[in-house]
Amino acid sequence: MNQLFRISALLAFLAVGVFQAQAQTVVIVNASVPSSTFSVEEVMDVYTLNKTHWDNGARVTVFDLKEGQAKRAFYEYIGMTEDDLQRIWLRKQFTGRARPPHSLSNETELVERVGKTPGGIGYASESAVRGKKNVRIIARLKGAP
Amino acid sequence: MRRLALVIALASGLFLPVTGSAQDGETSLFGSLQTVFFNQKSRLTYGKLQPWGGTEYREERSTFAVQQFDIFLQKPIGESFNAFVDLEYQLNYASDRRWGSLSLQEAWLNYTPMDELSLKVGMLYPAFNNLNEIKNRLALLPYIFRPGPYERLLRDVFLSEDYLPEQAFIQLYGAIPHGDVFWDYAFYVGNASASYISRRGEDGLPENDLNRNFEFLTGVDPTEFNMKLFGGRLGIRAREESFKAGVSLTHDYDNLRDTTRFPPIYDGIRTPLIGDAARVRIGADCSGSIGDVRFESEVIRVLYDHGPAEDRDIELDQLFYYTMLGYSFTDRLFLYGSFQAGRDIFDVTSRHRTITAGAAYRLSDDITAKAQYIVYQNELEHGSHVDELMIRFVFLGFSIVL
Repeated sequence: MNQLFRISALLAFLAVGVFQAQAQTVVIVNASVPSSTFSVEEVMDVYTLNKTHWDNGARVTVFDLKEGQAKRAFYEYIGMTEDDLQRIWLRKQFTGRARPPHSLSNETELVERVGKTPGGIGYASESAVRGKKNVRIIARLKGAP
Repeated sequence: MRRLALVIALASGLFLPVTGSAQDGETSLFGSLQTVFFNQKSRLTYGKLQPWGGTEYREERSTFAVQQFDIFLQKPIGESFNAFVDLEYQLNYASDRRWGSLSLQEAWLNYTPMDELSLKVGMLYPAFNNLNEIKNRLALLPYIFRPGPYERLLRDVFLSEDYLPEQAFIQLYGAIPHGDVFWDYAFYVGNASASYISRRGEDGLPENDLNRNFEFLTGVDPTEFNMKLFGGRLGIRAREESFKAGVSLTHDYDNLRDTTRFPPIYDGIRTPLIGDAARVRIGADCSGSIGDVRFESEVIRVLYDHGPAEDRDIELDQLFYYTMLGYSFTDRLFLYGSFQAGRDIFDVTSRHRTITAGAAYRLSDDITAKAQYIVYQNELEHGSHVDELMIRFVFLGFSIVL
């Protein structure tokens, strides 16, 4: 019985690991955004609100998640902490230079909003993006689970 | 809050509809509020170096105050335009009791055809060093009591306009990415000093005007174009915004015709200097963070070119500098110390030093509790005779993002 419990626990642990390994986080944009691939620096410029227009002149609309694994992976990817970004966003908002990102509670809503917003950009687990129209993956997070 | 927003929007006539949480293309309304309590202990010593130790006067006072309340309205218009307004209330503002003040600090339209180039037109805070553009955004600062020229409570002591270009009207600016950094640039033009702006006195006649015969408008700058403010800033900024530095330069004129700005004690010495003194402000700034350590420094040098002052060997130049070093002990707690000092020489050499220690504790994303202890010392040298003013402040307050 004890051995059976150990085997079950091991299998459960492996299953969680496999599931997490499959939860690849991706950066997505609305289909209207002209560029097809982005470097990590360009994505960082968007999230630090230094890049506010796409190459076709359309305004960038940034979406962010309130919490979750995808958010942690994304912030690690761009090399910023939540505090860093909050401070930058507040400064840019209070000086009228840019609006802070729309902060959403879940990935499904984020993918939907990016799909409906011309110039929209966000991030989510690849599984949440699969099969969605009007969004395009522009980066897969290297090293992220 | 929505009702307040609506009233403001109707009053401004510019921003409809207003929403607290902005959707794209709609006007967003937000703001900040800082409410404080402070205790002030002052000691004024006349003749500090005299054999009898001088004559001392002491005073203590305490007050509660809404130090500052700012309301911001922002509206993106189309893909490239953006409008912004900043209304500011100060010091327990009450119009019926004539306390405090209400003022329009900024009102501008921004045009950004590309990220590397923007044009701002309207009343705006120009780019000068690090703090000038955010000098009244108290929610962005750990301080309650800002560095000297930036602190509104010290406006009469520092005559902020001597050190800072307070407002401009057209600014061309942008940030050019280059490897791991951005090169920031800004060039602007604005009115001459606020003291030139025409206004009417109690007798109904224009005050401080260059030529009363031609005055028919009040609230405008009657100077010629060559007397306007011209300035700019060139800077470098890390792409992830952990570091920035820059140099700033402005040229304008100081209105020494306007004697109402100075206490009567200066009348005697100022009388032969009446005129327009060419003024150059040179600034340098450096700020950033390394891990949990944050730092911020600025230097401002103000140089005057005024014949009558040179003829009488009177130096008008001024200097101010400050530096702050702080450490984030946790995500919420930030402790810092700062030192600031400066000097100006007019009829007497005035040296001032300020040492502060402070803490900012973030209670939530929108509320920060702040505390600051300040020692301000000002020495006035009249030859061998030295007067000293020493003030100790204890500030406690809350900064709230609305």
